[in-house]
Amino acid sequence: MSAAVAVPVVLASIALVDAALAGFRAATGRNGLIRKRAYYVVAMRRGLAGGAAVLGCLALVLGAVLATAPDPGTRYTGLTQAGISMLWVIGPFAAVVVASLVGYAVLPRRPATFLILLGLGPLTLIRPWVTVAAGLTAAWTALDLPTAVCTVVAATSVLAVEPWVHRRWYAEPA
Amino acid sequence: MTTAARRVPARGPGLAGYRTRVPILEISDLIIRHDVATGASLPVRRDEVIAALRAAGDRRGARIVAGLPHRDGVLEAAAVDRLLVRTHTELQRLNEELRIAEQLAELLGPLLAAVARGGERPRVVDVGCGIGYAVRWLAAAGVLGDVDLSGVDFNPALVAEATRLADVEGLACRFVRGDAFALPGSATVYISVGVLHHLRGDALGAFFRAQADAGAQAYCHFDIAATRLAPVGAWMFHRARMREPLGRHDGVVSARRAHTDHDLMTAARSAPGLVPLLHRPTHHSNPFCASVRPLLGVRPQEVSALRAALGPAARHLVTDSRPMRRPW
Ligand SMILES: C[S@@+](CC[C@H](N)C(=O)[O-])C[C@H]1O[C@@H](n2cnc3c(N)ncnc32)[C@H](O)[C@@H]1O
Repeated sequence: MSAAVAVPVVLASIALVDAALAGFRAATGRNGLIRKRAYYVVAMRRGLAGGAAVLGCLALVLGAVLATAPDPGTRYTGLTQAGISMLWVIGPFAAVVVASLVGYAVLPRRPATFLILLGLGPLTLIRPWVTVAAGLTAAWTALDLPTAVCTVVAATSVLAVEPWVHRRWYAEPA
Repeated sequence: MTTAARRVPARGPGLAGYRTRVPILEISDLIIRHDVATGASLPVRRDEVIAALRAAGDRRGARIVAGLPHRDGVLEAAAVDRLLVRTHTELQRLNEELRIAEQLAELLGPLLAAVARGGERPRVVDVGCGIGYAVRWLAAAGVLGDVDLSGVDFNPALVAEATRLADVEGLACRFVRGDAFALPGSATVYISVGVLHHLRGDALGAFFRAQADAGAQAYCHFDIAATRLAPVGAWMFHRARMREPLGRHDGVVSARRAHTDHDLMTAARSAPGLVPLLHRPTHHSNPFCASVRPLLGVRPQEVSALRAALGPAARHLVTDSRPMRRPW
């Protein structure tokens, strides 16, 4: 697969997984029941839907930016390069998050607790900073202003999913 | 009002270093007051709570309380109840992630096997149960077999929420309003999660004595391990997982005023007829894993039965504790 296809596919996949996890986080601490697998599945679907909506809007923006470019081919290459810069920041972070989640699920309880305190908790805290840093890094290396603006908009709009899902469905306790 | 003490820099000329001791306060201890006898909630003046927090050097806590709804300077009881239910629901999410109820069940099973008398249905009572997470989890998991499960808390709003949640899921457990120092009924084993650090001074020993007086065969109390890293971990974890400013504030304060192993053991020894045992004491544990650690108590003649029931995990039981500063 060429970079022109792989980069947007990988970025969109990360964004969708992140959105599902954002839906989960938006619903946490709002339901005191013991059995709430179904509750969380619904929350993750809502996050996913929010993420898909954000990606849809971004696709429209990117489409407009490409359509208005003097040379759409060059701009597409520029956007792909910016996406690669983003992945340099987001990729390692995403890999650590996935590894921590897998570890939490499969490890015995004590090391799993260790993972929460050292891994999952701090990772949640730094996620907005990592996302913004990815957008800014890509903007810094972008070839032109529209590409730079697109990267910053893409990075920050992903951060809107969790507060939106929370406010829309989980503002009040279940 | 329950307090802990910390050293603060003394102000004013000529006062060198740390002299005065001021309390470390949790907001949740200050914004509700109940008549011990009737359980009726008593009015709490917002200014008094703010003054207490300011006097303790806790400006952030004072700001949080200043934002609470009041009528003529008296905190609105219904709003405070809602806030505490919300905060406890967030706290449950933390307990879920740290698998506290699982840890409890792993010890409670062997403890019941060691102390329960044949023919009698064992009774487990969670003291300071909040919205009853531990008891409801045990009831839902059914891991303890045929056991009578109940919870006691002096806050009627939390007891009502615990009851509501148990009813929704059809769980076989009960919740009653009651005071840890005048326990209603009796129990085979008293348990608690995150309650011990609320008890200061003589109240800590009185907590264990009340259970001995109520005829307990054993107890198993989980609380935050007092390490120097605990407040940092608590800050990070509450910041990442809780939304309520009150919960974030009290979470860090809890870690700062957690009792040392030695203080817990000393207080627990004042309860007649029950031998305290620490499981994985703080200085034996990995500092990042010791988020909470349990204190068990059994009758002297049942210590060996408990060790046998715990199997290999019994090697982590310790009967003595050294007076020491917070490790790590
Ligand atoms: C930090 S909360 C822990 C709640 C619950 N055990 C949990 O783990 O979520 C402490 C609880 O202890 C209760 N409590 C404090 N002092 C008490 C007392 N003297 N009698 C009964 N309950 C008490 C409070 O109302 C509060 O619900």
